[in-house]
Amino acid sequence: MAELAGVYAASHGPMIVRNWEKLSATERNGLTLAFSELGRRIRAARPDVLVVISPDHWVNFFIDNLPAICVGVGEVHDGPPEPWLHEFPHRSLPGHPALAEHIVRHAVEHDFEPSVSYRLALDHGFCIPLWKAGLDPLPAIVPVIFNDLEPPFPSVKRCFDWGAMLAQAVASFPGKLRVGILATGGLSHSIGEPDMGRIDEAFDRDCIRRFERGDPRALIDFLNERLPSAGNGASEVRNWVAAHGAAHGRGFELIRYDPIPNVYVGCGFAAWNVSARS
Amino acid sequence: MRDYWLSKLFFDLQSPPFADEFRADRRKVLDRYPLKPEVRSAVEADDVAFLAARANPYLLRFYFLMAGMPEDEFLRRIRASAPAPATKAAHG
Repeated sequence: MAELAGVYAASHGPMIVRNWEKLSATERNGLTLAFSELGRRIRAARPDVLVVISPDHWVNFFIDNLPAICVGVGEVHDGPPEPWLHEFPHRSLPGHPALAEHIVRHAVEHDFEPSVSYRLALDHGFCIPLWKAGLDPLPAIVPVIFNDLEPPFPSVKRCFDWGAMLAQAVASFPGKLRVGILATGGLSHSIGEPDMGRIDEAFDRDCIRRFERGDPRALIDFLNERLPSAGNGASEVRNWVAAHGAAHGRGFELIRYDPIPNVYVGCGFAAWNVSARS
Repeated sequence: MRDYWLSKLFFDLQSPPFADEFRADRRKVLDRYPLKPEVRSAVEADDVAFLAARANPYLLRFYFLMAGMPEDEFLRRIRASAPAPATKAAHG
């Protein structure tokens, strides 16, 4: 049976790459420390496969066909199409069709309705954390796209349930496999809206405290109330909620949080404790 | 509410060769999209506030970056735009 080797979260703001030279030494140092600690923890967990939960930033999907949740079942995924990510070292990333198809089957058998894609391009949401965490060679990647960008969004509770189902799917996979889950995006930020550039640090710190505490019901209630006023990018915290569900709602350990105006994002990094039995 | 063809234009312009074509001759590219006259005028006038009410904010931000509007100028204009009900619904 497969084993859940670790559950993680990381911000993925494009300006981490596009604006790197303009960041202050302190900002660069904070991000470097955060990504390197994330990478150290993921490598220590020795995952054969990483299930990466990220939004699609208008790369694979458009408003003529916009799935709420899509699982990439392909043998291979395309690298990031963003021209400013041309230094990302992989033009393609290995998939894991057996695990991905098992997840889809398990989902449908448990009343979830994922869409599937046999060929996804993985944009900066996937690739910045994989790259900056120094995961080379890459484990196989099973991409799971959550629509966090264009309403209607999956509800926060549904995202939690999705994560719990994902952990069950991993546990029931008939094969010896170590599987990690990495949720990307968040915390607060606003892109292309009148409050663009605003970081809601009070939201971020409150949010982090609630993830640390566990208590899924309180976390979901808090997010239902506060997400709408934390900037449109905060919607990506849905992915963190799925990771929380996969970790059975046990509290996470914050790796680092820095609100970075030059990245426009409250940058957060965390790892859940999955070794304790619930 | 989203304007489909405006959104489609922004989406298609993510292709670098198409973006080059657009930057070289904006009108020629706009002729291929059945944009409503007022939407086309807003594109030609770089009317951030008008377009913000009709496209996803991430696509809007990408579009003006691609079109060459300096970041400071885009921030000034988007911050000056009133949050219309349609964009308010786009918050997470």
